[in-house]
Amino acid sequence: MALTQEIPSESGGRVKGVTIVKPIVFGNYARYFGKKREEDGHTHEWTVYLKPYLNEDISKYVRKVHFKLHDSYSTPNRIITKPPFEVAETGWGEFEISIKIYFYDPNERPVNLYHILKLFQGSEVANAATLGKHTIVSEFYEELIFQEPTQNMLSALSPQPPLTTTPYIHHTNFEDKKEKTLASILVAKNKIRREINEYKDKLKLAKETISKFKSEIAKQQLKNAATSGVV
Amino acid sequence: MTTDVRDILDLEQAPTPELTKEAILGTTADKQKKKLSLSQPAPKSSRRPEGMHREVFALLYTDSKDAPPLFQTDTGSGYKQMKAKLGMRKVRPWKWMPFTNPARKDGAIFHHWRRLADEGKEYPFAKFNKQVPIPNYTDSEYLQHLHSEFWTRSETDHLFDLCRRFDLRFGVVKDRWDTAKFPERTIEDLKERYYSICGSLTKARAGSGTPETKVFVFDADHERRRKEQLKRLYDRTPEQIEEEQSLLNELRKIEARKKERDKKTQDLQKLITAADSQTDPRKQEKKFPKKKLQHQTRPRIDTNALELAGIKFPDTKTTGVTVRSQRMKLPSSLGNKKTKVIEQLSQELGIELNPIPTEQVCQHYNELRSDMVLLHELKIALSTCEFELQTLRHQFEAFAPGKTLTIPSTLFGESQGGADSTSGLSKQKAGSTEIIDVVGSPGAPSNN
Repeated sequence: MALTQEIPSESGGRVKGVTIVKPIVFGNYARYFGKKREEDGHTHEWTVYLKPYLNEDISKYVRKVHFKLHDSYSTPNRIITKPPFEVAETGWGEFEISIKIYFYDPNERPVNLYHILKLFQGSEVANAATLGKHTIVSEFYEELIFQEPTQNMLSALSPQPPLTTTPYIHHTNFEDKKEKTLASILVAKNKIRREINEYKDKLKLAKETISKFKSEIAKQQLKNAATSGVV
Repeated sequence: MTTDVRDILDLEQAPTPELTKEAILGTTADKQKKKLSLSQPAPKSSRRPEGMHREVFALLYTDSKDAPPLFQTDTGSGYKQMKAKLGMRKVRPWKWMPFTNPARKDGAIFHHWRRLADEGKEYPFAKFNKQVPIPNYTDSEYLQHLHSEFWTRSETDHLFDLCRRFDLRFGVVKDRWDTAKFPERTIEDLKERYYSICGSLTKARAGSGTPETKVFVFDADHERRRKEQLKRLYDRTPEQIEEEQSLLNELRKIEARKKERDKKTQDLQKLITAADSQTDPRKQEKKFPKKKLQHQTRPRIDTNALELAGIKFPDTKTTGVTVRSQRMKLPSSLGNKKTKVIEQLSQELGIELNPIPTEQVCQHYNELRSDMVLLHELKIALSTCEFELQTLRHQFEAFAPGKTLTIPSTLFGESQGGADSTSGLSKQKAGSTEIIDVVGSPGAPSNN
């Protein structure tokens, strides 16, 4: 996607003036068993995942992903080294999953994402819920920004041919969401700026009025002093 | 040791001192006690008796608790020296002799004791009899240089006579002034006349050949004013002093208020500038060509203005991998109040609190929230202005009863129109068309 490449110059292992952005998607889908399971009381099967937003091989620059589940799981730390980076589990409750991404070059510090596992129907995911066999989908768009990556990292991040020829789609229509969000923000921004202008003008007027009032008072004071002096 | 510390720290002695014979005696008779402790060097008397200085006690009993010597050690190097060791020189004899004081003109003779060797020498205190040289003037000199229309010759003579008699003690001169013959003169008058005569005389006598001599100038006017001032200061009544004090306090208060107001106006100006640059930097450039330079460097967003009012998002220039949504985090320095304001405004405007983190969204969302904070600050500033205007109006009404000042109606209240816009409704309409425009404009995302 947005690759702003300027003349790369080697300095301290990092390539100056280069910023690479890799969009990703993370989240979970879940399905209700239909009933409570007898042996452990679990009610849902779910999968938490991290995948590239674009049709590309994420393992080129991601070395491993560490999913940290709730401590009540017997092995809460799941480290996935190969794509697909996902963990399938069953359970009965929602909790926060920490997703730690390790990069191809160990010199790049890992990045942490947090996802609230979604099992139950909420208003926000209603539109996605109907997709496929999964009753619930909760996924988010995110961008990884590689600011002045190391030389190794840069080559790993270079554009690659599409992984598959079939169209690569997500449950959530992120492009649509991007557009709508940006539009609503711009509208809001315009509105706020108009209000700012309005208040600014008001403030200016208020300031002028204040100074006018002050001079009026000063005049009146002078007049009063003069009249009282005469008397 | 402990007693030393107590003594240094000015602490009291142990609350209940043992009631010993020494203690009782110590309070009554110091000398007896000393004798007692000397004659009774028993171990129990190593306690310092009340009233005895630590240093004195230390001479008798050291901390090492050395026993006092049993035998008399009269080696000559002890503490006591029985006889004063006087010099072996011959005694110089003294003699009762007469003397005259050269300060006296009457030649009176007195007697005093003096060393025989000093007989015939001058009275040693004679040197302290200093004479002030007071100039004399001749008749011709007076006529030529010293004539004054305010002073007669005889009065001047009287002045110089008194000056000579009292060694220029003008206070005394004034006191002895012959008020029967001459008009009453103040000390300043006397001084002025005297020093002006001295000056003219030195100048006249110096002539042309001799080098310029120093002339003492007496500023009589200044002196008069000074005394008058002091007199007035002294003559103030308690009420006047009180009034002055209260007036001074008032003045201080007024100055403090003025300072505060100035600061407020400055802040206001800053806010307005921030608003100007944030809403339309180009317009401002035209308006204030002086500030052009500042805007040419950063044409899109004035970072200075953002710092002044708004949110300062942390710099994202650090190397390494970051997550875009991290850049939309509000800085923790923002404070709860402003965060609340942003949340509330976002809700009103239908903006998600954590929008999808693309580059454009991130930038605009951050700018939006910065604007929100600025707007909030503008609103606060306006309400302070409103308050100030009300206060000023009341002040004016107090000064000019029956009259009033009108606060422009556009300033306050809910009307949406600015100072220069049309009515609220049409403004709203214009706003909505603008919104549609914006959505369709190239500002919309182009990367889909």
